[in-house]
Amino acid sequence: MSTLKDITEAVRRFNDSVEERVAAVRVDRIKGDEVMAQWQAIRKTVEVVETPTGLKLPRLALPELDEAGAVVRFLHGEGLPGVFPYVSSAYPELYLDPLAGPRSEEPTRLFAGLGLAEDTNERFHLLTKNQRSHRMSTAFDGPTLYGMDSDEPGVFGKIGEGGVAIDTVEDMEKLYAGFDLTAASTSVSMTINGPAPTILAMFVAAAKRRFGTDAQAKLRGTVQADILKEVQAQNEVLFPVEDSLRFLLDMCVHCVERMPRWYPVSISGYHISQAGATPVQQAAFTLSNGFAYVEMLRARGLEVDTFAPRLSFFLDCSLDVEFVALARVCRKLWAIGMRDVFGATERGQSFKLHTQTSGRSLVSAEFKNNLTRTALELLLACLNGTNSCHSNSADEPFTTPTEEYARLASHAQSILLEESGLFRHTMNLLAGSPGMKQVERAVEQAILAEFETIDRLGGVLEAMEQRYQRSSIQAAGHRYERQILEGARPVIGVNRYWNDDPPPAPVLVRISDERKRQQVERLGDFKRRNAAVAPAALERLTRVVREGGNVFAELIETVECCSLGQVTEALQDTVGRFRPLV
Amino acid sequence: MLTAVPLCDGHDSAITAVNLELIRHGVEVVYLGFHRSVADIVRAAVQEDVAAVGISSYNGGHIEFFREVAAGLKASGRPEIGLFGGGGGTITPEDAERMHAEGTDRIFLAGASFDDMTTYVRERYQRTLALPERIEVREPAGLARLISCLESGADIPPPSRGPAKVVGITGPGGAGKTTLIDELTRQYLASHPGHRVAILSHDPSTLHQGALLGDRATMVYAQDDRVFLRSMATRGRQGGLSPATEPVLAWLSSAEAGFDLVLVETVGIGQEALPFPDVMVDRRILVMNTDYGARLQLQKIAMLEAADVVAANKQDRPGSEAAAMEIRRHLDALAAGKPLIRTVASRHEDAGVAALLDYLERS
Repeated sequence: MSTLKDITEAVRRFNDSVEERVAAVRVDRIKGDEVMAQWQAIRKTVEVVETPTGLKLPRLALPELDEAGAVVRFLHGEGLPGVFPYVSSAYPELYLDPLAGPRSEEPTRLFAGLGLAEDTNERFHLLTKNQRSHRMSTAFDGPTLYGMDSDEPGVFGKIGEGGVAIDTVEDMEKLYAGFDLTAASTSVSMTINGPAPTILAMFVAAAKRRFGTDAQAKLRGTVQADILKEVQAQNEVLFPVEDSLRFLLDMCVHCVERMPRWYPVSISGYHISQAGATPVQQAAFTLSNGFAYVEMLRARGLEVDTFAPRLSFFLDCSLDVEFVALARVCRKLWAIGMRDVFGATERGQSFKLHTQTSGRSLVSAEFKNNLTRTALELLLACLNGTNSCHSNSADEPFTTPTEEYARLASHAQSILLEESGLFRHTMNLLAGSPGMKQVERAVEQAILAEFETIDRLGGVLEAMEQRYQRSSIQAAGHRYERQILEGARPVIGVNRYWNDDPPPAPVLVRISDERKRQQVERLGDFKRRNAAVAPAALERLTRVVREGGNVFAELIETVECCSLGQVTEALQDTVGRFRPLV
Repeated sequence: MLTAVPLCDGHDSAITAVNLELIRHGVEVVYLGFHRSVADIVRAAVQEDVAAVGISSYNGGHIEFFREVAAGLKASGRPEIGLFGGGGGTITPEDAERMHAEGTDRIFLAGASFDDMTTYVRERYQRTLALPERIEVREPAGLARLISCLESGADIPPPSRGPAKVVGITGPGGAGKTTLIDELTRQYLASHPGHRVAILSHDPSTLHQGALLGDRATMVYAQDDRVFLRSMATRGRQGGLSPATEPVLAWLSSAEAGFDLVLVETVGIGQEALPFPDVMVDRRILVMNTDYGARLQLQKIAMLEAADVVAANKQDRPGSEAAAMEIRRHLDALAAGKPLIRTVASRHEDAGVAALLDYLERS
């Protein structure tokens, strides 16, 4: 398989074809006139908006072009928002005032997860209190991320720390209590990967309990479920790669067939970057992982257009200059690959992106500077045209965000998108500027070079097996740390302008032992009540695994009476455990 | 030094950066990997006879975790093994004080530099080895210390040769030797209740004399109380083994140590013939991966000739059939009838690995 090579060639062919068209309209007077007429027509369609100070601005900024070749280069190279190759935006509109009307998108995502299901539920209610729509982004605690129960040896200290503890379908019911999960204005995202099929099965089962058996067709949201980036960077892998992929693909197939509003995998570079990757490595590995999923889903017999519109991406945004253009390049490469190599129609070509500001860029020293770092990163993400955003809290280097800093982080987005005029009027403020173009070109070339390397190693899975991505990420991470120590990478408050005064004692969110014990007790209660039926359910599950049926469909039944840890253990007994690559 | 990331903790980017720094400063680092339990860490620390354990903890629960590791080292008879760690901002200065009182030597708080850490490690955990008067080689701690002494050049011949079958495993880097050993171990433990296995695993030393010994991280099923796993750095010796391999193997296969199966894995080798002299091992397995067969060159034929059995691994890959056939052809030309077993070591309960185990037991 040489998909990445095909994609690299398709991108080069595309770039060449743009230049050929430019040359063609320059020699053909009639064609040139047609292009100029088309350009004038496009310019006329641009809405003019008035700023609070009374200035009139175009909603979409277009360059002043008076020559057909330049127009062709713009239309085919940069393109209009929402039009191939989608460089400036996946959709025709971006960042409208959330109070302005129904066609607007609200980019802010409300991330929460701590303590027990009730604690997180309370936080969700607090965060969504004044929001028109309820978009809840869920963080899970360490034991849940590793598919373990809260009562397993050695995990007690981790219960509910850094995320919510979910052991059973009953916890899942409590987590979203009070929200109408079948409403079009509700969406739920779950940041979980290794045990994603079991956790999503619990979500579906909980929704069925609360809203009836036909609820699953109405559920709206995303589960991260990106096992490739786990193997390459983040480590939360429970089963051998081949089996992890199978369970994931079973889940995707079920979602495509039965859950029309669900995004079954969010292809994530965030953790690749947080583990040390450079921006280019992040983009190259994430895109190539995305193309690998497309290949695998096609191999499962699904048509590209049935699943491609439901793939979404997740990248981080930090302070390196590459980030000013990173998402723009990703949209272009994805669109070309999907169109020219996989034959996807328009809906399957667009790169839908969620961005999170970079946790790695935040430091404990003079931590309030993190507010500035995050704000700048948000600006870069929006200049890139991200579709949604999560901004980190300034206190994250030492604690699960406190309410105060979580609120500041969320408001930073509102200040940028609603209070500032940077995106409210002209949506593509710096798009296509010469500086951005230069960064774009350099980034594109570097990503294509990574594609070629991965292709030479035999493709994504083969390179992964040879630990290419992993060792590249580790080496880049080591270089980053050394740069900070040696001062080559300035970090204010750490290697520049530091303050020798002792830092003020931080406010920490920690979960009390009593709360942790409560989780263990109610898990014990669940297990006791289901002790008579759980073994048979697990036996049915492992039979489906052995006989090649759809494991996800069965999991929705299994979790009715089995805990996350029981499911993980049964699956590990059947297919084995993941052997890490270090 | 042993380094690890606790159970359920997020990432290992910090510890891998620390590992690289320690190695650069000439330290041999056994990396146990991430998501490791207290029991795994204590078992590894004892078997590897390390001077200290370094733990990177980023996800809370550190007070309990470090306390349990300190208690575990004490309970296993090695209270003198050092314990240090870090966790960026998640460990507060107050936490660090409490952890210090509960048995952790030192916590590196946010902002600590690599240099602080490497200097501390080199000064605090420098040690001179002393062989105890009575060696309890049945006990992991005793055997581990004996191996350390053999590694530093002590000449202590084993009193006997026991019934253990000693199997040498070699092959090029990336062929899946470590995975194969882990799966062999898993299947052997399952089919031989009460038997004990020793694994001796080699990794190369760097020019600075540091080394990253990372096989433990991959061998998840070898983290068992019936398995004694020891990592060794090559310390300048060519050929995929350490200068101390031979005396260590002799001890591992002694009746006194009491193992039933001893597996020794070389560093991934390139063009050389098998590195095991006759006296060292009973059986030699050459592990090859799929794309190796097609590019088989004359030099590799020496390896084929010297092996007792060839495992063509990764047989789930495209092209593996052709590769296995090519290896078979070469084998037939050299030594007709020499077994070639096709394995997928990464697969749970792989039939090829079972066949290999069966061969080892019968031959």
